[in-house]
Amino acid sequence: MDRRQFLSNAGAAVLGAGLVSKAGAASLPEAPILTDPATQPPLHPMDGRPYNPVVTLNGWTLPWRMKDGVKEFHLVAEPVVRELAPGMKAHLWGYNGSSPGPTIECVEGDRVRIFVTNRLPEHTSIHWHGVLLPNGMDGVGGLTQPQIKPGKTFVYEFEMTKSGTFMYHPHADEMVQMAMGMMGMLIVHPRDPEFMRVDRDFVFLLNAFDIEPGAATPKINTMLDFNLWCWNSRVFPAIDPLVVRQHDRVRVRAGNLTMTNHPLHVHGVDFEVTCTDGGWVKESARWPEVTTDVAVGQMRAIEFDARLAGDWAFHCHKSHHTMNAMGHDVPTMIGVDHRGVVEKIQRLTPDYMVMGERGMADMGEMEMPIPDNTLPMMTGWGQYGPIEMGGMFTVVKVREDQKPGDYSDPGWYPHPQGTVSWEWTGEPMAAERREGPAADAQTLKAVKPAGHHH
Amino acid sequence: MKYPTDHLRTRLACGTRLPAALLGLGLLGGCASFSPDGGLDKVSAITRERMAVAPAPLRTDQDAARVREEVKRLLAGPLDAESAVKIAVLNNRGLQADLAGLGIAEADVVQAGRLRNPTFTFARTSGGGEREYERAFLFDLMGLLTLSTRSDIEGRRFEVIQMRVANATLDLAQNTRQAFFSAVAAQEAAKYQEEAWIAAQAGAELARRMADVGNFSRLRQQREQLFHAESTAELARIRQHAARERERLTRLLGLSGKDRHFTLPERLPDLPAAPLSEKDLVQQAMDSRLDLSMARTEIEGLAKSLGLTRATRFVNVLEASYLNNDATGEPQKRGYEIEVSLPLFDWGQARAAKAEALYTQAMHRVAEMAVNAESEVRDAYGAYRTAHDLARHYQDEIVPLRKRIAEENLLRYNGMLIGVWDLLADARQQVAGVNAAIQARKDFWLAESNLQMALNGSGAASVGMITMSAPASAEAGGGH
Ligand SMILES: [Cu+2]
Repeated sequence: MDRRQFLSNAGAAVLGAGLVSKAGAASLPEAPILTDPATQPPLHPMDGRPYNPVVTLNGWTLPWRMKDGVKEFHLVAEPVVRELAPGMKAHLWGYNGSSPGPTIECVEGDRVRIFVTNRLPEHTSIHWHGVLLPNGMDGVGGLTQPQIKPGKTFVYEFEMTKSGTFMYHPHADEMVQMAMGMMGMLIVHPRDPEFMRVDRDFVFLLNAFDIEPGAATPKINTMLDFNLWCWNSRVFPAIDPLVVRQHDRVRVRAGNLTMTNHPLHVHGVDFEVTCTDGGWVKESARWPEVTTDVAVGQMRAIEFDARLAGDWAFHCHKSHHTMNAMGHDVPTMIGVDHRGVVEKIQRLTPDYMVMGERGMADMGEMEMPIPDNTLPMMTGWGQYGPIEMGGMFTVVKVREDQKPGDYSDPGWYPHPQGTVSWEWTGEPMAAERREGPAADAQTLKAVKPAGHHH
Repeated sequence: MKYPTDHLRTRLACGTRLPAALLGLGLLGGCASFSPDGGLDKVSAITRERMAVAPAPLRTDQDAARVREEVKRLLAGPLDAESAVKIAVLNNRGLQADLAGLGIAEADVVQAGRLRNPTFTFARTSGGGEREYERAFLFDLMGLLTLSTRSDIEGRRFEVIQMRVANATLDLAQNTRQAFFSAVAAQEAAKYQEEAWIAAQAGAELARRMADVGNFSRLRQQREQLFHAESTAELARIRQHAARERERLTRLLGLSGKDRHFTLPERLPDLPAAPLSEKDLVQQAMDSRLDLSMARTEIEGLAKSLGLTRATRFVNVLEASYLNNDATGEPQKRGYEIEVSLPLFDWGQARAAKAEALYTQAMHRVAEMAVNAESEVRDAYGAYRTAHDLARHYQDEIVPLRKRIAEENLLRYNGMLIGVWDLLADARQQVAGVNAAIQARKDFWLAESNLQMALNGSGAASVGMITMSAPASAEAGGGH
């Protein structure tokens, strides 16, 4: 049996149960594999304590088996191929066929036993980010345990003493393994399913890669100049929308495993941060926001009531983070007259076309050939034209008629008559395009650093 | 006792009757005559064996008109290497001078085959009231004695000179081919440099506009401007080089006036489908190298002379060997001297020994020449093969790679991953790559031409044209 077909796109929920019976007698729990990058439906618990499952954006939840009252999971660290968006596949390292690895869900008070098998070419370990546990289970290679050598399986076993939003990632050759995409979410549900109950609970990781255009493997030594800003190793236009029913109570949990902060901004709602790294935020301590900064290594859960129907943008507010691969050394061409020069350049480069003379929006519209396995810098089309975004961008789709539990994409929002910005057709203002200013001697000398006057 | 032939006179006693036998000999001696082709047929044959064209002397107005017509026809379209060689062989005046030298040499041969006219002198002296009449009949007895030897030697000398003219033709052809390939390559390189210059110009202009609207600093702008300025200087140099190469070719083609506006092809000829194989090349060189043929002809003569010396012990024609391989850099003196000695005191043993030693020496020289020729062929083939492989490597590997890199860069430009400056910089590198490929292909054609010379001519290192100076040590065939 091909284990990579073991979990089908639709069958994840059922598999949890199937696995137990199949591998029940084995000493090692089955390690299911999923390579499909589509968002999988929530995995409702078949046994153990009840809880309201999360939906992992472009990801899935790891099935478990119960053994002697302990929840047993099996993670396999291995090289994976992840489609960052159609047209680009990355050679990453991940868990159980995908990067990030599957979300692990359990309940406050659960005793968990997590088997970790290393199929990487080098040793690894897993750290349970934010979880309070015995020191020897903290997964810091060398400090709290020997690293897991290639081919070996280690067991982590501890009790989940507190609910909240957590992450897992290696703490062995961490810089490389995180740059290669090794990470996953760990959700501990409250013992009381009614505690802070929401209708939809989304979860994803913020991660970033530096993959040279035309290549597939991340450059692991990059520190800040990443060119692919991802949510769960996906970029716009391939990050699935967050589909909700109007008036749903929605929770969105995000963990940041990049090397910079991300101000997450949602249009059309005001939200509150209800859970941080340390746990649930008391109601009296929350304040309303439309943007919350998720710093490096942090987890944040925001909650809102989806009062307004529509297609609401949801993105990181660092504008370079809503772009795909771009050249950071490309000079600004705005306002530069190319007349008479283009033909000369075309003598050597016949297919050369002027770009950037008016700005970069051309990029969103023009479909020019670019290197293999490379995504356009700004891309994705909405019902009114190019969205001109990439990277950490998606849409919260709030619909009145969306069925409870239905996460399928309802398409573009049909705006009620007269509710879309329209073109003024009355007396026009003279609106010819204005030339940019020329830089005269004054422009370039205007600002002198202080202290340099003679 | 030496009696150079041109000084040797045999004074016969005054007599009124010319012996009939001598008269008969005199008639015999007059049988050598000018050939109808002036010795050119042999030259043509040698040349044609090795290339498609043979020299033709320009003697009459008709000859000149015919050549003009042919040159005009060949200049009508873009030249190729073969038509360039044709024009040079027809039209190069230096070669014509060499051909004229052939006539001089033949005259010597004919002269050598003839006896000096008998002379009759009459003198009357008077003094002291006395009158004296002296009558003398002078006959070139020595000439008669050495007639056959001289004819033989001159005949062989002429043969060698024919080969020399043929070799001069091959040399001219080689120089012309090389000048042609160099001129085409230089022209092609200049064309590509012009493209690079235009790109640099576009870069400088764009940079100026960038600075004008405040998008570039003056530093950045001036860098682009500097690049353009340097590119202008480079273009001037490359154009001058192309002009110089073209003039070199013009000289070899013997063109002047309007004719110098000939058209060169856009690019060098393609590489051959497959390179020559090294197999049999050495044998081919041994069979067809002109310097070896010449040496063989000369040594045959030497052998005959040796035989003669052995037989008579009194005649020595070996002193001035053609195989004088002195490397002093001085002009070689070629010629010979015939000396007849009277066997009164010396019975010639030493002379015969010396003749043998000279012959042996000459044999070694020829053997050395053969060894050198063989090595030269291998050397020339090595250069040829390397040049071929390199040119093919550039053509099949480097240039396509450059092209693909340029395509990839354009894709990156399209994706706004790089800017137009990177594109321009890459385009300039691409031009440099194409230029390197042109040079590699030129090197191949030069090496190919060298190899042909090593196989057929007198070696790759053959010095240009030979000078047909008159033999210095003796004026063959009797004096005046
Ligand atoms: Cu960001």
